[in-house]
Amino acid sequence: MSRRDLAGAPSTSEPLLRVEELYVEFPTEDGVVHAVDGITYQVLPGRTLGIVGESGSGKTVASLTTLGLTRRQGARISGRILFAGQDLVTLPEDRLRAIRGNDIAMIFQDPLSSLHPLYKVGAQLIEAVRAHRDVPKARARERAIELLALVGIPDPARRVDEYPHEFSGGMRQRAMIAMALANEPKLLIADEPTTALDVTVQAQILALMERLQRELGMAIVIITHDLGVVAEMADDIAVMYAGRIIETASAARLFAAPEHPYTWGLLRSIPRLDGPRAADLVPIPGTPPSLIHRPTGCHFHPRCPYAQPDHARIDPALEPTPDEPSHYVACLLSAQVRRGLWRELAAGRTPAQALEAVGQPGAPA
Amino acid sequence: MRSIRTILAIAFAGSTALALAACGSSSSEPSTKATGASLVSTPGYPSPATESLGGKRGGTLEVLQESDFEHLDPGTTYAALDYPVVFATQRPLYSNKPNSTEPTPDMAAGPPEISANNKTITVHIKEGIHFSPPVNREVTSEDVAYAIERGANPDVANPYLKTYFNSLEGINQADGGPIKGIETPNKHEIVFHLDEAKGFFVAEALVLPLTAAVPKEYAEKYDKNKPSNYAAYEVATGPYMLKNDAEGKVLGIGYVPGKSATLVRNPNWNPKTDFRPAYLNEIDIKIGGSEPVIDRQVLEGTTIVQNEPVPQSGVRLAAEHYKSQMDISPGGGNRYVALDNKVGPFANIDLRKAVWAALDRVALNKERGGEVVSTVATHFLYPTINGFEQAGGLKGPAGPQFDYNEHPEGDMAIAEKYIKLAGYPSGKYTGTQTVQVVGASSPPEKEDAEVVNQTLKNLGFNTKLTLVEVSTMYAKYCGVPKEEIDVCPDVGWVADFADPQTVLDVTFAGKSIEPVGNVNFGQVDNPKINRAIAAAEVVQGKEARGKAWAKIDDELVEDAAAVPFDWEKTARLEGKDVHGVAMLWNEGAWDYSFTSLK
Amino acid sequence: MIRYIIQRLLWGVVLLIVLAVLIFILFRVLPTANPALLRAGRDPQPKLVKEIEVVLGLNKSLPVQCWDYLKEIFLHFDFGYSYYSQESVRSLIAEDLPETLSLTVGAGVLWIVAGLSVGIVSALRRHSFLDRALMGGALVAISAPEFWLGLVFLFLFASDIGKFKIFPGAGSYVGLTSDPWKWFTSLIMPWIVLASGSAAVFARLMRGSLSETMNEDYIRTARAKGLKERDVVRQGVRAAINPIVTLFGLEVGVLLGGAILVEVVFDIPGIGELFYKAIQTSDFPVTQGTVLLGSMFIIIANIVVDVGYAYLDPRVRYS
Repeated sequence: MSRRDLAGAPSTSEPLLRVEELYVEFPTEDGVVHAVDGITYQVLPGRTLGIVGESGSGKTVASLTTLGLTRRQGARISGRILFAGQDLVTLPEDRLRAIRGNDIAMIFQDPLSSLHPLYKVGAQLIEAVRAHRDVPKARARERAIELLALVGIPDPARRVDEYPHEFSGGMRQRAMIAMALANEPKLLIADEPTTALDVTVQAQILALMERLQRELGMAIVIITHDLGVVAEMADDIAVMYAGRIIETASAARLFAAPEHPYTWGLLRSIPRLDGPRAADLVPIPGTPPSLIHRPTGCHFHPRCPYAQPDHARIDPALEPTPDEPSHYVACLLSAQVRRGLWRELAAGRTPAQALEAVGQPGAPA
Repeated sequence: MRSIRTILAIAFAGSTALALAACGSSSSEPSTKATGASLVSTPGYPSPATESLGGKRGGTLEVLQESDFEHLDPGTTYAALDYPVVFATQRPLYSNKPNSTEPTPDMAAGPPEISANNKTITVHIKEGIHFSPPVNREVTSEDVAYAIERGANPDVANPYLKTYFNSLEGINQADGGPIKGIETPNKHEIVFHLDEAKGFFVAEALVLPLTAAVPKEYAEKYDKNKPSNYAAYEVATGPYMLKNDAEGKVLGIGYVPGKSATLVRNPNWNPKTDFRPAYLNEIDIKIGGSEPVIDRQVLEGTTIVQNEPVPQSGVRLAAEHYKSQMDISPGGGNRYVALDNKVGPFANIDLRKAVWAALDRVALNKERGGEVVSTVATHFLYPTINGFEQAGGLKGPAGPQFDYNEHPEGDMAIAEKYIKLAGYPSGKYTGTQTVQVVGASSPPEKEDAEVVNQTLKNLGFNTKLTLVEVSTMYAKYCGVPKEEIDVCPDVGWVADFADPQTVLDVTFAGKSIEPVGNVNFGQVDNPKINRAIAAAEVVQGKEARGKAWAKIDDELVEDAAAVPFDWEKTARLEGKDVHGVAMLWNEGAWDYSFTSLK
Repeated sequence: MIRYIIQRLLWGVVLLIVLAVLIFILFRVLPTANPALLRAGRDPQPKLVKEIEVVLGLNKSLPVQCWDYLKEIFLHFDFGYSYYSQESVRSLIAEDLPETLSLTVGAGVLWIVAGLSVGIVSALRRHSFLDRALMGGALVAISAPEFWLGLVFLFLFASDIGKFKIFPGAGSYVGLTSDPWKWFTSLIMPWIVLASGSAAVFARLMRGSLSETMNEDYIRTARAKGLKERDVVRQGVRAAINPIVTLFGLEVGVLLGGAILVEVVFDIPGIGELFYKAIQTSDFPVTQGTVLLGSMFIIIANIVVDVGYAYLDPRVRYS
């Protein structure tokens, strides 16, 4: 019952999922919340895309919208989400339902609250199977036990009759994964899958996901605020801020040569084992902006240490970098300035020092 | 709601304001015509005297009643609700035709023969009257004697025996066995020997159900139980009987407590011996439900009646839409405000007169439904009772000393005059005693209590008003002298039979005061009145008795012993196809032996 | 689990004993008339009253009466004899129990079914016109006293006195075995009247609980799995019921109380009507017996709820 054809190898360049100009807005009493403000990305079969951002960046809404799970909340959605030749934005509910949990599956952050507390784990797994396939209960139960074994849960034949609260945190997340995999989806969306878990368990879960990806040949979108996670798992990374993608590149490239001040902030705010002991962490000052009343011009400019006066007027578009066409960034600073700044920051300088070193306070590219 | 007042009214001879059909001739033909207009019948409604009789023979009458029967044993019964069943099944020595307060020989063959010294009463018993199955045999004088004697059995405890038959020889030693003063010289003759000259009065009392024959050999085993359960097996002498089985068991068959009662024809009843036509074949009584629903069910129904006093809402409904289906009967008794004559501020006669003057009796009657069902009272004897006219009729006693009685809407000026006379120069009571007022919590008694309470306050009294359930009001407060309740705003009395003694004696004689179950609510103990009462008890002859007791009535008014405010009329409802005939002498309840279907 | 059940049952018995004593005291303390007096009839002679008191056992001191009463009930299941009709209270209750059960069980079913459906519909269509109408109606149903509501129904729909002659009128109840159809139709209005208040309370609570539940993460998961919306709602309802299950036990008490008035208005010859009449005549054995019986049902209902709760919520079981 597993796929053999796409094991591990980089796939063809035909995208499995393509999100184009997606806008998602929620009208509220206080105003319109621009949760997703025009994003475009794609996922290739068998590959992993990491979407990184702080809470409120729109990363979760974008993914929920893929499965049509924001429709009930009164969202206004525009743009296209192409999957298997269909636009999921306009697809009728019943057809979309056939895709959920079947071709595209999703797992969530907190497995304790994401599993129904009053039904046995086995029952929930069986339900996932029978929602899309007409199999007798006994057969579905066997499949449930298989799945639990697949995700590495010991003694699955007993565990299948237990309740979620009888599982440990890590086991619960494994069970969620098992449930998502019940129908061998082509795409798995994982929203903060390890955030609620201990560090050691995190690593196990990520390893599990990687193994399953190899075995089943499925694509993964992993959404997180944790750069360590994407460093581990992602082939490509998109960084989101205030509802937009502000930088996207392959994982290797992003970590080696990030080009957006926000990405720098993210990287510099993580302690590194190989950095100077005395180096300070550099958190990004300020808080994420309101999605109702966003800053003018470049949405990041209020928090950007390198912002110039007219960055408050001009809204940068997402454009490819000069030397690497698959690396996109939305910044008004010149590529040259950006590289210079990054060189300084990577060496351990503070943003103020870096700015001084590059030498162009206030001068645009 | 429920009234625990007794309701047995009979008058010897129709010299009352209500013109009644003279039913002088002996047994069978029921009287029909009214002779003369009645001062207290209600215009627009069929008054009992004009209700025409004679529908078809046969059919089943359905009866709805909210409350259960209290006592169906002729030896213990006294409540108005019980009487329609009792008098359809039991035949006392004398009883009343429905439209009359004049007694007709029933089990008796003719009028009572009273000796010249007023101490001996002889009654001849009709022949050919039989008990219902399973007893079946002919009724004899011994059966009548036993019926009365068992009243003294503490397990039967007839409520009237000691009151009305206390002059019977040997009554004080009686405990259920033979009484010396009751003699049965032969099977169809019974003689009563009294040791006081009260024969005339006692003969009047022979209409009580107590005198309905009870077969000793059949009943005594039940009378041995504590209390007697003869009612569970009782047999009948009237045109109907409570349905029973072959052993005579009524309980669970003809009477299911709380649920139903069924009257069927008594196969041993001989119509030739009875004045009752007995048109209906069967009477099905259903117990339970609630008043507003029952009233409507009856008014919308065909062969159905209700048989309890109709409350104001029902009266209004019928008056507006179903006039021909409501019967309004006078003679429902009196109502008055009892004032404690013995203890407290109202021991002072002037304060009593002040309350009388100030009370708006018209307002009180409006609460009860106004003109249709009540008449403003000006003294204590009420219409249909012998002596009513002699006591002053509608207007009451005349004279300047009765100024407080002149204005039924209340007159504060006169009230103030009496308060000043009582020693409060400001015209308002300024004493420190708080007046205890205890009334009933259900309407309209509740509203009455509030009006009285307000009147007292207007006169300057500090009051404490307590409202409780009506039976509690009587049994725990107003009927217990020790409680020293100053004002009981809503008490009343209905005669046991139409002799005025039954209205005024137990209620206003000093000797009638009891420590519990007291019905002389105001503890009235006026020596002059007591003497007059003692003298009136032995007076003979209807006219003379009427005059004597009317005088006592007026003296009570002069003494302001209590404040009468209402002479009640009671309403009953019938379905469209019922020719209801009402018992004038029993607050207008339907008489099953005369009622028929159209 | 078994231990838990046994524990609760024993505690229930203790509670019943305490209640029996309280009931006894309550009825002696209330300002009712001395029942001996009431039975002594018109113009009671003190001697007679005393004799009746002896017969009824009222002459003994209160603690002695109480002790006798407790012994009779808990050792012999003897509730005494009615002061009014001398029938044994146990047989009076047994006779009338089927009627009351017909009424209350039927109303109970209606309460749950109606409450559930209305609550679910309202929760799923929050703030819609339907929701507002249903919740508004629920408020009326909660506020309306049973007696009044019963009269309104009769005056509108009773076949004998109503404006629209649809249902059988008051007093038309017959036993299930004698005429099933008549039994059923005569109970429709009483069921609605009796259940309406409780159903409305349940509906409002269900609406709130389900609205909250539908926002839970596991509902999101259920949708993400591709379940039909109907199955998603079922999961939500399953979770939403738990917080309000404990309400059931309490509402049984309200239902029993309401049954008294409904029986009187519709003239159903059950325990409610029996109780009502017994109050009017200070018939202590009957009033005490019926109140005790009612208490027993409420205690049992609450035990069932408590035990059922452990079954409904697996998280609670091992604590």
